[in-house]
Amino acid sequence: MRDLLAVIVGALVGTGLRFGLDTLIPHGDDEFPVSTLLINIVGSFALGFVVARVWPTASAWLKAGLGPGLIGTFTTFSAVAVSIVALSHEDLLWLAVIYLVLSVALGFLAAFAGIRLGARPGRDVEKVTE
Amino acid sequence: MSVQAVLALFAAGVVGAVARWLISRLFAGRRFPVAVLVVNIAGSAIGGAVLGFAMSYQISHSVRLVLLTGLCGGLTTFSTFSVDTVQLVLDGRTRTAVISALSNLALGIGVAWLAFAIVWAFAPPIYLLL
Repeated sequence: MRDLLAVIVGALVGTGLRFGLDTLIPHGDDEFPVSTLLINIVGSFALGFVVARVWPTASAWLKAGLGPGLIGTFTTFSAVAVSIVALSHEDLLWLAVIYLVLSVALGFLAAFAGIRLGARPGRDVEKVTE
Repeated sequence: MSVQAVLALFAAGVVGAVARWLISRLFAGRRFPVAVLVVNIAGSAIGGAVLGFAMSYQISHSVRLVLLTGLCGGLTTFSTFSVDTVQLVLDGRTRTAVISALSNLALGIGVAWLAFAIVWAFAPPIYLLL
């Protein structure tokens, strides 16, 4: 029950942050989604970092609130897929490809950097899904 | 955007996030990150359909925001996808990492496109009918 509450609170903050960034840096269906790209890079770094740094000593509710709650809700996969469909539909296939490549490459790089910077020497990093 | 629409957006974000959290618990302990794949495919499919309805002017901008930014944004996640993939590579399970990453991208974008195409075909924009 405490885990569920933590997920709900984290989700409210994550939704608010993502919606706020989308409003601050708006993009049409025929424009490059800068806000989503930033969100997914920052979120991937943050999750990598907390999984490596905070997870080994964190309680279950804190993990639920930070992982599936805050950062999981902050980042989005559907917005990437939808923007790629929208850009392709607007005959901007090259922009869709650039967006996809940047999202994956920078997202993975950010996750790696987060894990490396968060890891304490001599300690194994826990799995994010456990 | 009305206050009611913003409240609905936050509520939809929480519903999506809680659904994602429950699904991740359902698939906990699997060697392949199934849960992330399931939510990302489901959210991308809903997202593609919503884009189709929005681009053909069947739904308002507020409804689009509630469903896309709220529900689909909360249900899907990019951070767990990227951190999971990087951890699989760091664990020496490169094959699983590649299969997971490619299935998320191919199936996520594929179902988003399919859902969009179906809605677009059966709900043509008003200006095409005139």
